Amino acid sequence: MPLPKILARAAGLATEAGSGALQQLQHLRLPGVGQASVTDDPDTAARRWRAVTVLTDPEQLRTETPAPLARFGDRLEVRVTPAPGDRGAELAARFRSPVTEEELGELRSALREAKQRIETGEVLRNEPQPHGHRAQTPQGKALDGMDERAAKEGVL
Amino acid sequence: MKAATWTGVNEVSVEEVPEPQLLNDHDVILKVKQSVTCGSDLHLLGGYIPFMRAGDVLGHEFIGEIVEAGPAVRNRKVGDRVVGAPFAACGNCWYCKQEQYSLCDNGNAAPGITEGLWGQSPGGCLGYSHAMGGYAGSHAEYIRVPYGDVGTFVVPEGVSDTRALFASDAASTGWMGADLAGTKPGDVVAVWGAGGVGQMAARAAMLLGAEQVFVVDRIPERLQQVREHVGAEAIDYSRTDVLAELRERTGGRGPDVCIEAVGMEAHSSGSAGVYDQVKQQLRLQTDRPTALREAVMACRKGGSLFTLGVFAAMVDKFPLGALMNKGLTFRGAQVHAQRYIPELLERMERGELTTEHLATHVLPLSEAPRGYQMFKEKEDGCVRAVFTPGS
Ligand SMILES: NC(=O)c1ccc[n+]([C@@H]2O[C@H](COP(=O)([O-])OP(=O)(O)OC[C@H]3O[C@@H](n4cnc5c(N)ncnc54)[C@H](O)[C@@H]3O)[C@@H](O)[C@H]2O)c1
Ligand SMILES: [Zn+2]
Ligand SMILES: [Zn+2]
Repeated sequence: MPLPKILARAAGLATEAGSGALQQLQHLRLPGVGQASVTDDPDTAARRWRAVTVLTDPEQLRTETPAPLARFGDRLEVRVTPAPGDRGAELAARFRSPVTEEELGELRSALREAKQRIETGEVLRNEPQPHGHRAQTPQGKALDGMDERAAKEGVL
Repeated sequence: MKAATWTGVNEVSVEEVPEPQLLNDHDVILKVKQSVTCGSDLHLLGGYIPFMRAGDVLGHEFIGEIVEAGPAVRNRKVGDRVVGAPFAACGNCWYCKQEQYSLCDNGNAAPGITEGLWGQSPGGCLGYSHAMGGYAGSHAEYIRVPYGDVGTFVVPEGVSDTRALFASDAASTGWMGADLAGTKPGDVVAVWGAGGVGQMAARAAMLLGAEQVFVVDRIPERLQQVREHVGAEAIDYSRTDVLAELRERTGGRGPDVCIEAVGMEAHSSGSAGVYDQVKQQLRLQTDRPTALREAVMACRKGGSLFTLGVFAAMVDKFPLGALMNKGLTFRGAQVHAQRYIPELLERMERGELTTEHLATHVLPLSEAPRGYQMFKEKEDGCVRAVFTPGS
């Protein structure tokens, strides 16, 4: 099956603005396509530890909660453990009580941000980028919506 | 500024677009001298990787001059003549430390799409769709390169722009295939695809000591380049049975190392070709793995197989039984260019690696639509169309 077709299905035939499309892509089960993401029910999903591995000294990371995670206050539990091998530290976080998909998305992007700040000293930006005329097609709109959500989505 | 953009399936335009800005402290901005078409662009162009937005600037293989550098850039300065790496890599994450730069954890600011597709996100690639970071590409007068210290390489004075240009992608990709497939002195290596990537993989295998190197394709001009510029043996798959030919020429063993440099739009003839076409029309597979299947069947027992050709999702009728029972090692990767560019530039300076013959068509940027047309259709012997945005 060609990817455009998979996407079109995932995006509800690309009729909606696409913010939901990406989420659907991750939960998509099509014959022969497989599935990258988890099948947790929403309650389990909300309580699952979400983790990034950061190439840094675990002891140092433990002394201060990274700013992007500290923003959540005590709604989050944060855990730092040494990663096996020479991989640094595992930085994990989870909500203390059930949350919305949007809040989960904010946690994903906060974990990625925390990792980037520690490893590279800044958060990578990709807007604005030079581009030409954006024709307003349904597929284009769906992709814009996905793009907007992509920092908050993924299997993290 | 002027830039060549994707404006729809099989449609390239030249548009007026805003100039790039420094967005991060580690960024550099290059004035592009040359930027070249790559086989990977054809997959975008044809709509096989459906994450292009109309107006996206194409191009990821380029040479230019640094005109601006962010405050955190330490080892590059305005005026440096540099080649750029296609993938944005931070240089500091675990993957970058292992020299697996195209897997950088921090090179794609929006990893949601690729995580959903593949379970993990590789890095971000310039000019390569919103799945791979949404970066503007190099077919433009200027380009922003993130992590400038890591993603650009100063070109030695004695190496011409056109020779150095291909260190960026074609040569580093080819070299990676031969290297990571484990090519050793005395090996027999077969490469599928005589585009820029396949030719460079063959050349790399020879420089790594392979005793016999074959390149399989059907385009006469490309096979001629293989004989003349690479010094490898050419096999025309439209005129001979590749498996029988390889067995005959390798004492019945098959090649030790097989490198696939064709990708998901492989051409095929005969019943397999009809099968793949029907499957694709029925929308039952995303990618056509013709050359990959052949490589699995050709490879000697216990041999090594590497796919440089880009695949996006699923292939059908993959001979997993042959792979398993023959004890093959199978690997693939997007290019870890940062790992190979320094060594390639040195070899280019010594004259061991020449690439100029790949630049069959050098055109002003305004002719990008025609350049892509010729490159895609392989018209007029086109192997690579090189654009010169400054001229
Ligand atoms: N891994 C990476 O980082 C990386 C980098 C650059 C390019 N690529 C990929 O490598 C592949 C080749 O790139 P290129 O720039 O050389 O492309 P290209 O389009 O110039 O060349 C591809 C060649 O494959 C030949 N071919 C088609 N079907 C074949 C078959 N069944 N058997 C043998 N040959 C066949 C074509 O005739 C053509 O000459 C593409 O898939 C591209 O996306 C990967
Ligand atoms: Zn490329
Ligand atoms: Zn990195």
